[in-house]
Amino acid sequence: MFQFDRRLIFNFSWALLMTLLVVIGMSLANLYSATAINGRSPICMKQIYFYVIGFSIILAIISVDYRVFITWNYFLYTAVIILLVVAMLFGNSAGGAQRWINFGFFKLQPSEPAKLSLVITLASYYYRKDTGKGFTLKDLLIPGLLAGLPFVLILKQPDLGTALMLAFVAISMTLFVKLRWTTLIIIVSLVLTIIPIAWKFGLKPYQRQRVQTFLNPESDPLNKGYHIIQSKIAVGSGGRFGKGYLKGTQVHLDFLPEHHTDFAFSVWAEEFGFTGSLVFLSCYTFMLLLGLNIALSARDKFGVLLAFGVVALIFWQAFINLAMVMGLLPVVGMPLPLFSYGGSSLLTTMAGIGILFSVRMRRFMAGKG
Amino acid sequence: MLKFPNPEDENKKFNRVISKIRKIDEAELQTLKRRINIAMGVILFFIGILIIRLWFLQILRGPQYLKLSENNRIRLEWIAAPRGNILDRNGQPLISNRPYFNITWTKEDSTNPGETIREMAKILKVDTSEILQRIREAADYPRHLPILLKEDVDWPTLVYIENHQYDLPGIHVEALPSRKYQFGNLASHLVGYLGKINKNELEKYNGLYQPSDQIGKLGLEKLYENILRGEKGRRYVEVDVHGFEQRQIMEQEPLPGKDLKLTIDINLQKTAEDALSGKAGAVVVMDVNNGKLLTISSSPPLELREFIGGISNKNWQAMLNNPLHPFINKAIQGQYPPGSTYKIVTALAGLSEKVITPETTFNCTGSMKLYGRRYHCWKRSGHGIVNLKKALRESCDVYFYQVGLKVGVDKLAKYAASLGLGHKTGIKLAHEKSGLVPTKDWKKRRYKQAWQEGETMSTAIGQGFNLVTPLQVCLMTATLANGGTRYRPQLISEIIDENGRVEKPFKAIIDGHALGSQQSLAYIRAGLVAAVNEKHGTGSVAKLASILVGGKTGTAQVVKLAQYRHVAADEIPYKYRDHAWFTCFAPADKPEIAITVLVEHGRHGGSGAGPIAKAILDEYFKDRLKP
Repeated sequence: MFQFDRRLIFNFSWALLMTLLVVIGMSLANLYSATAINGRSPICMKQIYFYVIGFSIILAIISVDYRVFITWNYFLYTAVIILLVVAMLFGNSAGGAQRWINFGFFKLQPSEPAKLSLVITLASYYYRKDTGKGFTLKDLLIPGLLAGLPFVLILKQPDLGTALMLAFVAISMTLFVKLRWTTLIIIVSLVLTIIPIAWKFGLKPYQRQRVQTFLNPESDPLNKGYHIIQSKIAVGSGGRFGKGYLKGTQVHLDFLPEHHTDFAFSVWAEEFGFTGSLVFLSCYTFMLLLGLNIALSARDKFGVLLAFGVVALIFWQAFINLAMVMGLLPVVGMPLPLFSYGGSSLLTTMAGIGILFSVRMRRFMAGKG
Repeated sequence: MLKFPNPEDENKKFNRVISKIRKIDEAELQTLKRRINIAMGVILFFIGILIIRLWFLQILRGPQYLKLSENNRIRLEWIAAPRGNILDRNGQPLISNRPYFNITWTKEDSTNPGETIREMAKILKVDTSEILQRIREAADYPRHLPILLKEDVDWPTLVYIENHQYDLPGIHVEALPSRKYQFGNLASHLVGYLGKINKNELEKYNGLYQPSDQIGKLGLEKLYENILRGEKGRRYVEVDVHGFEQRQIMEQEPLPGKDLKLTIDINLQKTAEDALSGKAGAVVVMDVNNGKLLTISSSPPLELREFIGGISNKNWQAMLNNPLHPFINKAIQGQYPPGSTYKIVTALAGLSEKVITPETTFNCTGSMKLYGRRYHCWKRSGHGIVNLKKALRESCDVYFYQVGLKVGVDKLAKYAASLGLGHKTGIKLAHEKSGLVPTKDWKKRRYKQAWQEGETMSTAIGQGFNLVTPLQVCLMTATLANGGTRYRPQLISEIIDENGRVEKPFKAIIDGHALGSQQSLAYIRAGLVAAVNEKHGTGSVAKLASILVGGKTGTAQVVKLAQYRHVAADEIPYKYRDHAWFTCFAPADKPEIAITVLVEHGRHGGSGAGPIAKAILDEYFKDRLKP
């Protein structure tokens, strides 16, 4: 497992590392602007520590052949489910949502590792059961349950945003593997019928309210539409070139809440404008495309699925967050991976990227036919 | 036997797993390429949507949003919620609210800080250094958060500042509710006080409070903080560049805190505290039929008014150094030897273990000998032939020495526990102490020595290792009075929500039952009634004209110094004087209340504590006593 082979270094993705570092750099600069008081930002320092831990996690993961995850995946999955249950029963709440477990020095949000664990589990399952003939509805039963369990647990926290994102990732991975046409049609129709039912009975009133406020935020500008309007003001007022680094007014005038977590991108957009936002989006997208490229270059199907799943994970979270910040989606609690402040999200994303590195580095390790 | 996994074997095992992983063949690779390209396209598509949206917001609508962000600055202001009142059992307010004005300064809104500070120093009549100190302490606040300059300013100052608002940019007036203590320091330990919230509390409550808030620090104000606090309202106001309010946009009313209706009776509490004034001690009055506390008092009281706005260091130190210890709530934290009040336990043990009957007699000659040591009765000349009634009436030590020896310390402990001694009563107050009821095991664990019979004798009359709190003695008395049911002492009668509806009505809780028969308890009650109403009774000071009271005096030894044995009581230095107990219940035929009084260093139970109990009895029964 820990074999050292020169080919590992040869196949290391320097491009991914570079892009990652650029994104991290932007993220820290932005975090500093969002949280610095009198020239100091303990939050920024904390995030740097998390990045350091994140890199050690990456190192740990790349020194292992990613294929061990096949054997480990149920163990990881069970551990994560246990953590979710513990969080539900004994966890701490903020704003009425039970989301994390307090370990004293570190507050762990189990929904974060749960996302990554689900990707690994689905990748293992789809790999093992892939017969090449496409999956039928019956075949999808078990993956459905595997995804359904954390989905429900997270939904009950209540964390609608993360639960939906989990669903998107699971669906992306499922669509990626070969499905029979009939299966696909059945699923799509099922989903379309479930949506109105879920709307009425599945969502809590405040969640429904959020969607309604989203559709018409100006109707309730200073109560429930507040975040959306303030965020749009922040983003929009950035104009072509932004107000300049550290000069964003929406943030330090306390108009924009959560500006270091969910709304971190608003700060960037306000300070660097359209130009800066494009630059950031390009780097971020480039990183995602690199990830897909790694999927393409993997030597076995498991590696493909893993890499694809990790990219889907990061992409969906990023898209939901950015759309929310720009007022395209209702407000849900969803951090921008690598950009928003938060230990659990950061470490999970770094772990995912570690997997990407690992898959790329081991593309030469052939299995026997 | 430890067997380390052989790395060679591990590798082989792993390779076997890997070798089973299939390599991708060419056909699969093509399909994969296609799908991944689709995925790339999907990603680019969604990113494209985002870019278009950005263009819309930043390029197309950019100037508009810029204007919005610059000119119309919306600020969130908190509106303080009226705190819940604390009422007595009849609804009379013990503690209510009064408005309270703070002066704050917001860095961000000020144009000429130096000048403003100088002005403010003049207006507030303080030194500029004081103001600068406060500003320095708030150095790491964000610029838009107000810094507290002065609390609780008087009306003239307030009016002046309001009228000169435009000359004082950045200065704001904050209106807060504060506490009004209707009855001075009445029940001070019980109700507690408010103070400025500190860092730890801010973190613990995670966003629920602002740094300038007040929070309950002691007593009920602290224990029921969540209920009394209510919920802050908010105002969104539009401010201009200087922070002056342009218009109010939205207001959400605050939710007032809920009121606490206590079981306490203000009149009884007042009577108790007046009677205790000048002394150190405690009074507890309990409703024997449900555990409700009508009075719980500790003397000396806390000077509640000192705490408004924050207590000065001088006053704080004075309170700490006061030899009468005002900070300690003696009713629940003071642990004293029970003295002769413990004879209730011994009597119950004796009757229930059948080592005595009410007619069993012993001869008290003023002392008795055990293993060569002499143990005295308080009456040196002796009580003569004593049965249970006489023993309780005249508090004969020798009688109870005998009973105690026959019963044994461990059995005594059992009965004591069943009457509520030796463990916390469970009252909802902080820092309750559990007292001590000794057993043979306990002594072995604590002192690594065996129990001596002579110690049983001290225990039987409530001296020695025994420790009780006044609340426990009251609970014991109440249990005796109501026929053996031990209720949980409770302080809250009702919680009333902001609409006047009762949220949580009172429910009596039964914690246990006294061991022993109803008969036994009745005999003991009779003995206590005799102590108050018959000749030679030690508790005659509590006698009422037309209502039968049953009571027991007690004198707790502080220290047994041979040098003071023959000294006249008043000449013994204060701190060595015995503590005085008096505990009673009334009316004897259908008991309603139990009263326990402890006066530190009050010397004799009858004379030291008895009159206080009498005063309370008079007040309680004032409508029923014939003139």
